[in-house]
Amino acid sequence: MAEEVPSASYIPYVHSQTLTSHAHALSSLKFSSDGRLLASASGDQTIRTYAINLKGDPIAEAAQVFTGHESGISDVAFSTDARFIASASDDKTVKLWDVESGSLIKTLQGHTNYVFCVNFNPQSNMIASGSFDETVRIWDVTTGKCLKVLPAHSDPVTAVDFNRDGSLIVSSSYDGLCRIWDSGTGHCVKTLMDDENPPVSFVRFSPNGKFILVGTLDNTLRLWNISSAKYIKTYTGHANSQYSVSSAFSVTNGKRIVSGSEDNCVYMWELNSRKLLQKLEGHTEPVMSVACHPTENLIASGSLDKSIRIWAQKK
Amino acid sequence: MNAPIIDPLQGDFPEVIEEYLEHGVIKCVAFNHRGSLLAAGCADGSCVIWDFETRGIAKVLRDNDCAAAITSVSWSKYGHRLLVSAADKSLTLWDVSTGDKIARTTLQQTPLHARLNPGLSSPSLCLACPLSSAPMIVDFEIGCTTLLPVCVPEMPDVLAPPQRSKCAESGPPFSPAAACFNKCGDLVYVGNAKGEILIVDYKSVRVLALVPVSGGSAVKNIVFSRDGKYLLTNSHDRIIRIYENLLPAKDVLRSLEDLGKNVDGVDGVEKMKTVGSKCLTLFREFQDLVTKMHWKAPCFSGDGEWVVGGSACKGEHKIYIWDRAGHLVKILEGPKEALIDLAWHPVHPVIVSVSLTGLVYIWAKDYTENWSAFAPDFKELEENEEYVEREDEFDLMPETGKVKVSSVNEDEEVDIETVEKDAFSDSDMSVEELRYLPAEPIPDTNEEQDELKLIEARISASPASEEAVQNGHVTDLVSSPQGEEMGETRGKRKRKPSEKAMELQAEKAKASKASGRTVREKSRAVGDQEIDESVNGGGDDDDDAYY
Repeated sequence: MAEEVPSASYIPYVHSQTLTSHAHALSSLKFSSDGRLLASASGDQTIRTYAINLKGDPIAEAAQVFTGHESGISDVAFSTDARFIASASDDKTVKLWDVESGSLIKTLQGHTNYVFCVNFNPQSNMIASGSFDETVRIWDVTTGKCLKVLPAHSDPVTAVDFNRDGSLIVSSSYDGLCRIWDSGTGHCVKTLMDDENPPVSFVRFSPNGKFILVGTLDNTLRLWNISSAKYIKTYTGHANSQYSVSSAFSVTNGKRIVSGSEDNCVYMWELNSRKLLQKLEGHTEPVMSVACHPTENLIASGSLDKSIRIWAQKK
Repeated sequence: MNAPIIDPLQGDFPEVIEEYLEHGVIKCVAFNHRGSLLAAGCADGSCVIWDFETRGIAKVLRDNDCAAAITSVSWSKYGHRLLVSAADKSLTLWDVSTGDKIARTTLQQTPLHARLNPGLSSPSLCLACPLSSAPMIVDFEIGCTTLLPVCVPEMPDVLAPPQRSKCAESGPPFSPAAACFNKCGDLVYVGNAKGEILIVDYKSVRVLALVPVSGGSAVKNIVFSRDGKYLLTNSHDRIIRIYENLLPAKDVLRSLEDLGKNVDGVDGVEKMKTVGSKCLTLFREFQDLVTKMHWKAPCFSGDGEWVVGGSACKGEHKIYIWDRAGHLVKILEGPKEALIDLAWHPVHPVIVSVSLTGLVYIWAKDYTENWSAFAPDFKELEENEEYVEREDEFDLMPETGKVKVSSVNEDEEVDIETVEKDAFSDSDMSVEELRYLPAEPIPDTNEEQDELKLIEARISASPASEEAVQNGHVTDLVSSPQGEEMGETRGKRKRKPSEKAMELQAEKAKASKASGRTVREKSRAVGDQEIDESVNGGGDDDDDAYY
């Protein structure tokens, strides 16, 4: 737990727990919006949920296992009320599960290649999924019908995210572009790209929907302003040139950017000053996914070494 | 929030029918405050709520006591309650999120039109306009109805008799009067058969002001714009009139009282008229000089910029759109079925119209692909432009490197959390608005899951299998009487289904049959001619991608 930091007011995160329930590499981690659950998706074809007890020791306890996919899973997402989980898998389907019981509710068929990323809209009546078939599909949660197929990119779609009120979808792809779509009509609203367009491995909206955090395979993270279509912040120091490593905004204790890295560490930068605040060491293989707890100073990281590590702030 | 990103011309008017919704025979529709939900009343007494974004049914409100056609539906301000009036003279108040009936009363006459008080967050007070009596205020909590005055008699000190009873009023039969609440719900504007607009304080049952409508013909509809600044009346003389509301938005009663006090020297009806002239001024008149048609269900657009009216002629489905300055901008023509109700979406340029056959047509803008959105350095030109080259444009410059100086000032503070106030929070945010009904995914049955695996295997096997699947799907419709599950999903919305969507339908159809596999074998032999239909109906996969 090396400390890189300058300001005395920064309280570093320390390792709190390691979860090794998965049998294969971790691909995605998400906290539910009420912070009570953590979901993890893995190449071992299962999704697991853990109950988060902030006062407990250990903090995370295994809750449910979701089996049914026929291939490794690349992404998982909670619905806003945390009643359902959607998972994107290499078996070309998106599956909808009931969180409490662990049972499979629906299978969404339609993609013609690996489904790579999935997300609910804030109203949780629609699901957006991006796939290696270069399209983004919007599904109706109630009926499971595919509402729209967006001709999004010319290379695998690596990430999809809805903005705060669910009206926009951002999608990123290995073709180097980030596109913003109107979720109601399915029309493209904007395309964000730079002169050089390295493959984009990850994208997500900022909490207020005005900015997007873009991770590219040239070891860089950028914060783009959507309306001006220019990037305004750059974060470097980590390694990201091969995998789709995810990153997150941490707003519970000062505004920060947290990201996984291929050098086995979790990086944390200060949002405005872009200074590297901390490098969390402990994993033995590239860190694929990070998730920040919505209300507490808690970070979860998942890695190719099959483990999930929970980091909390030292009291 | 998205204003800077989305095309500003979106605040426009619709042009073509995008889709239609079907659920029994629909009689009337109403959008909720934000336009995220559409409530519709059916001829069989049930009320269906569509999630307008997914165009899927979110809830069905069914009352076993009521089997008569619904005459109107009305949302409460924050969307928690729905008021439904039916042809069996009843008014039912529903709680939207639970789907429970809160209250129900029966009136003396069938209410043609009923509106919940827009000022309260959980209103139990509503305005009902029956077919042949004065409009009345119905209070569900106390359980009483109050008739509102419909005319001001000539005697100065006798106001219209207030009646507080459930007994039938004795008096001359009125022709139907139209009425509506103002924006904050403390005044009722009544348009009567003599061609006058009365501003009534319903709590004290007093007429506070009177505005004569020029021409003096009976008022059929009276509607406020969403922001309360404009009032629209539809009269028997086939003219739609727009009035500007001069009263302030808040504390309206007090302003009216003040106005009344300030008017000296006149009494009774004259006083009412003077006060009235300070409340409303005639802004515009719309009519069709050519066909002189009657109008049906006129209303404002969400932003009040456009006025829309449906033609009341039988056998045609025409929607006229004017801008507020009075120019007719568009006539939308639908299929040859009479129009019975009309609603403009509060936010988007979308109109919903109900035809006599019970279908709900959704009109939206005709989308032209915005190519510059796909490539930011792409500039769209209206016409050919002559391009003049620079002198040195194609010169080889030895020193041109790819040195890009980043002109970005990365030290500026960035705010990722503040959200701008919504354009639609035009009131206090103390009450949580019901914007959406939580989605309840319909579980796949076990059989469906087996079929899914089968279908997947077949798909990867050969393209011909898709035809078989579709074929089976079509004949199942015909042969199976209990296609309810199918009917339910299909009844929601109709779009040009892609082949993939048809598969999903097929899976559901299979589920309703006990022995899915054997039936498919049988049906494959049966309908060879069905293949053509289903393939054509299936449409092109490419098409779907460009929706």
